[in-house]
Amino acid sequence: MTDLRIAAVGDIHLGEDVRGQYRKKLEGIEDRADVFMLAGDLTRHGTLEEGRVVADELRGLPIPVIAVLGNHDYHSDLQYEIASELRDAGVIVLDDDGVVVQCGDKKLGVVGGKGFGGGYAGKCASEFGEREIKNFVSHTRYIAEAWKVALKEIVADHRVVLSHYSPIKETLEGEPPEIYPFLGSYLLAEAVDTAGADLILHGHAHKGSEKGMTPGGIRVRNVALPVLGRAYCVYCLNCADDLQTHP
Amino acid sequence: MEAPQYVAARVQQALAEDGRTHELGIRVDIRGDQLFLRGQVSGAEQRERLGQVAHEVAPELHVHNEINVVEATAPGEDEHLD
Repeated sequence: MTDLRIAAVGDIHLGEDVRGQYRKKLEGIEDRADVFMLAGDLTRHGTLEEGRVVADELRGLPIPVIAVLGNHDYHSDLQYEIASELRDAGVIVLDDDGVVVQCGDKKLGVVGGKGFGGGYAGKCASEFGEREIKNFVSHTRYIAEAWKVALKEIVADHRVVLSHYSPIKETLEGEPPEIYPFLGSYLLAEAVDTAGADLILHGHAHKGSEKGMTPGGIRVRNVALPVLGRAYCVYCLNCADDLQTHP
Repeated sequence: MEAPQYVAARVQQALAEDGRTHELGIRVDIRGDQLFLRGQVSGAEQRERLGQVAHEVAPELHVHNEINVVEATAPGEDEHLD
């Protein structure tokens, strides 16, 4: 039985004052996991200086590193420059698109991006009324559609979605319900349920809960560092079914 | 006198928007002339900055900085999704 091992964390919020500290926690990650995923909010204020600290902490890791940005990384309007710094350091940065990485004899497809808010079915914003509200909701709708298309196009043995915002409210438990619409949107879950995936990873909700599931039964994990309390968690996708199909 | 709810909201907004902190999700409670900060941050310096910003926004209140610093420990047991 071969497992595909995914190390994941979000919301590491690095800055110059903690330079070098997170990297120490990643020592030996190649023995524990096949790929490392970061679910956004890598910086505190989205400055280029902080982006460079993150790039240096992740540079040259012996396994593929895949990241999305979070709302904090957008704060200084330097998200493209930060993504560029990360890419120069060898990090694959997803922006509502997908990538396939080879992990041993398995192809892992990863689709994702920052995601956005709007709320959850029955208690959410809709594209109605003021232009500002319509823009808010249509931004999430655009992202969800892009993920759906990317998931359908990808050819891989396993598919994982990497987001910053949450696709479900179960993994927000612990956060005040009043702010749920700013923490994610059911449109993200609906898109992934339609296209199919093995696992969804997200961050953003520091006070939320680790484990949940979409209405379609796809496992969701909130990997925000304050939720995990650890440098990262490892999730193993079981490849036993594939082995049985191709003995 | 300004209602404590508005003062708490102003402090919380400052913690989120001040360039030194940008910390969302810090709980601010006011009881009489006492202000309490609660939540989790990634470093001791950030905790001190949050206390400082809160003090600047509400200098007439005594700030109790009860924010916890989360230390990321080594990864634990793997989870098998099958």
